[in-house]
Amino acid sequence: MDLFVSMFAATIIAATPLIFAALGELVVEKSGVLNLGIEGMMLIGAAFGIWVHFAGFPMILAVGAAVVGGALASLMFGVLALTFMTNQYAAGLALAIFGAGVSAFIGRGFGTTPVEAIQPLHIPGLSDIPILGEMFFQFDPLVYLSFVLFAAVSWFLYRTKAGLALRAIGESPDSAHAIGYQVIRIRYLAVMFGGAMAGLGGAYLSLVYTPLWVENMTAGRGWIALALVVFAAWRPRRVIFGAWLFGGMTILQLQGQAIGLTVPTEVLSALPYVATIVVLVLISRNREAMALDFPTSLAQPFRPKG
Amino acid sequence: MKRATRRDILKYGAATGLATGLTGLPGLSRAQEKLKVGTVFVSPLSEIGWTKQHSLGVEAIKNEMGDAVEITTIDNIYLPQDAERVFRELASTGHQLIFGTSFSHGTPMQKVAPRFPEVAFEHCSGIKHLNNLGTFEAKYYEGTYVAGITAGHVTKTGKIGFVGGFPIPDIVGPGNALLLGAQSVNPDITCNVIFLNSWFDPGKEKEAVKTLVAQGCDVICSMTDTPTGVQVAGENDAWSIGYASDMSQFGNGKHLTAFTLNWAPVYVDAAKRVAAGTWETSERWLGLKDDVVKLSPYNPDLPAEVVAAADQAQADISAGTLHPYAGELKDQSGAVRAEAGSRLSDGDIRGMNWFVQGMIGNLG
Repeated sequence: MDLFVSMFAATIIAATPLIFAALGELVVEKSGVLNLGIEGMMLIGAAFGIWVHFAGFPMILAVGAAVVGGALASLMFGVLALTFMTNQYAAGLALAIFGAGVSAFIGRGFGTTPVEAIQPLHIPGLSDIPILGEMFFQFDPLVYLSFVLFAAVSWFLYRTKAGLALRAIGESPDSAHAIGYQVIRIRYLAVMFGGAMAGLGGAYLSLVYTPLWVENMTAGRGWIALALVVFAAWRPRRVIFGAWLFGGMTILQLQGQAIGLTVPTEVLSALPYVATIVVLVLISRNREAMALDFPTSLAQPFRPKG
Repeated sequence: MKRATRRDILKYGAATGLATGLTGLPGLSRAQEKLKVGTVFVSPLSEIGWTKQHSLGVEAIKNEMGDAVEITTIDNIYLPQDAERVFRELASTGHQLIFGTSFSHGTPMQKVAPRFPEVAFEHCSGIKHLNNLGTFEAKYYEGTYVAGITAGHVTKTGKIGFVGGFPIPDIVGPGNALLLGAQSVNPDITCNVIFLNSWFDPGKEKEAVKTLVAQGCDVICSMTDTPTGVQVAGENDAWSIGYASDMSQFGNGKHLTAFTLNWAPVYVDAAKRVAAGTWETSERWLGLKDDVVKLSPYNPDLPAEVVAAADQAQADISAGTLHPYAGELKDQSGAVRAEAGSRLSDGDIRGMNWFVQGMIGNLG
C-alpha cells in the first residue's frame, strides 16, 4: 500500500511539467497555430526561473520570471509565424534550437549550485489524513496550480464566448475574420499563453522537480507534450490522462527494473511511450469525433483579405 | 504559401552546419611554430560532470605549456555525422593533436585519421586504435570498488542502489565492482540496478533514485552525467556516491565520495610528446595507479576506520596486490566466472555483460 501511495504521488508530480506545457500547446493549436518550440520555451523558462532565484528574489517571482521568459520566447515565434507568415514548422523548430542555446547561455555558472526547491504544502488537517493525505494533499503549490489551470482551460475553451471565438479561428480563420474577429491578435494571445505555460513547465523542472540547473534539462519533455496534444485529439481531459499515464508507466517500469523483472530494460524503457500512444489512439479512434476536435487551419498562415 | 520541403531542410541544415563550423574555428591560418591542439566535446561545456573533467585536461595542457600551445575547443558534438566534419576541419586547419572525448566519436575518427597521417588523434573511451589514432580509457571499476567499500560500511539495510545510463560493459562493470567493494565488507549486501536507457534525463534519474530508495536501498550510486542522483538521494536521507566530478555540494551532507576522472596526465603527456615529435599510437587503460581515477574527499562523517579501509584498498589496487575482479567470482546464476586465486582477464572486464552474484537487475 505504501508503495502504491508513493507511486501515485510520484506519478502526479512527474506529469505536472507535461500538463503545463501540453495545456498551453493545446490552446495554441486550437487557435490554428502549430508551435513546435515547446522544448525551447521550457528550457528558457527553467533558466529564467533559476536566474531570478539565484539573484535573490523570492520563489514566486522566480516562477513569474519563468512564465514571462516562456511568453517572450513564444512572442519571437509569433512575430515570425503570424506577422511575417513564415512556415510555422520551421519557425517552431528554430525556437526549439534557439531556446536550448539561450538557456545554456543564461545558465552559465549555475550548474554547480543546488536550488532550494519549492516545498510541498502542509494543509492542516487534510495533509495528515493517512493515505489520502499523502495521495492528494501533500503536493507543492504548482501541482494544485496545474489542476486549476486545467479547469480554467477547459472552461475557457468550451464554456466562454472567447473560447468559442478561439476555436472558430482554429477552424476557419477566414470566416472568423469575416464576422469581425481579430484573427492575428487572438492568435498572438494564444501563442503567448502557450509560451507562458511552457515556461511554467520548465520552472517546475528547475525549481521543484529536479532543483538544479543542467543544460537541456527538459530532456525531451517538450516533444512529449507536443505528442500528447496530438494523441489526445486536442481534448484537455485526455491530455491530463495521457500525461498521468506516461508518468505512471515511467515510474512503473523503473520499479520493474529495480525488483529485477526478467524483461530487457530496453523494452521496459519503451513501455511508457508505447502504452501512452496505444491507449490514446484507442480512445480517440472515432474518426468523426476526431475530425470535430482537429483544428482544421492548423499550421496554415492567415492573411486577412480585404 | 511556402512549405518546407525536404530539400529546404537539407539546404538550411547544411548552411547552419557550415556556419557553426566556421565560427567554431577561429584563426584558420597561423604560423606553425605553436602546437595546435583541437578538442571535441560531446556535450556543452558545463561546470560539472564528464565534459568538465575533459576541459580540465585541456586546461592542464595550457598550464603546463603556456604560450607554446594554441587550443581549439568545439563542444556539443555528439552525432557521428557532425563529428566527422569537425574532425576533418580540425585536421585540415593545422591542428597536430586532436582529442575526441566520446565513444560516439570513434567511427568518425577512424574514418578521418587515415587521411591525415601526420596528425595525432587521441580517442577517449575508444576501442580501436590505428597508426595515428591512440585510445585511452579509465578503469572506472577501481573507483567504484573503493567507493563500494565505504558503502558497505554505512549501509544499514544491506541494500545499495545503482543507476546507469545504458546496459553496456562500461557501466555494468563499474556497477559490479561497486557491489564487490561493498561485499568485501559484508558478503550479504545486494545491489538493485536501474538503467535509464538515456545518457541524460534528470527527471527520469530522479524517479529511478526514488524507486531504489523505496526498495530499501540506503546508498545510491548514479553513473550518469548530472548531480541529480546525488541530490535526490540526499533529499531522501540516503547516502550517495558521485561520478566524474565531486558532487558533495548536492548531497545534503550524505555524499560519501565520488569516483572522479582526472584526464590531465593523459592530455599533458600526449601534447608534450607531439611537441617533441615522439608521439606514438598506443592503447592506455588507466586507473588509480595513474592518478586518472581518483576518489574525491570522503564524507567527514565517515569513521576513521572506514576511511582507512578505503585508503588501504586504494593503495593495494595501485600496488597491484588487490584486484576488484579477483576470484572467486560468481555471476547472478551462481556460475563461477573467475576461479579463486585468479582474476578476470582484461578482455573479460572490458566486455563485461553479466552481473555478479547479488546484483538485482536484468541485462536482457
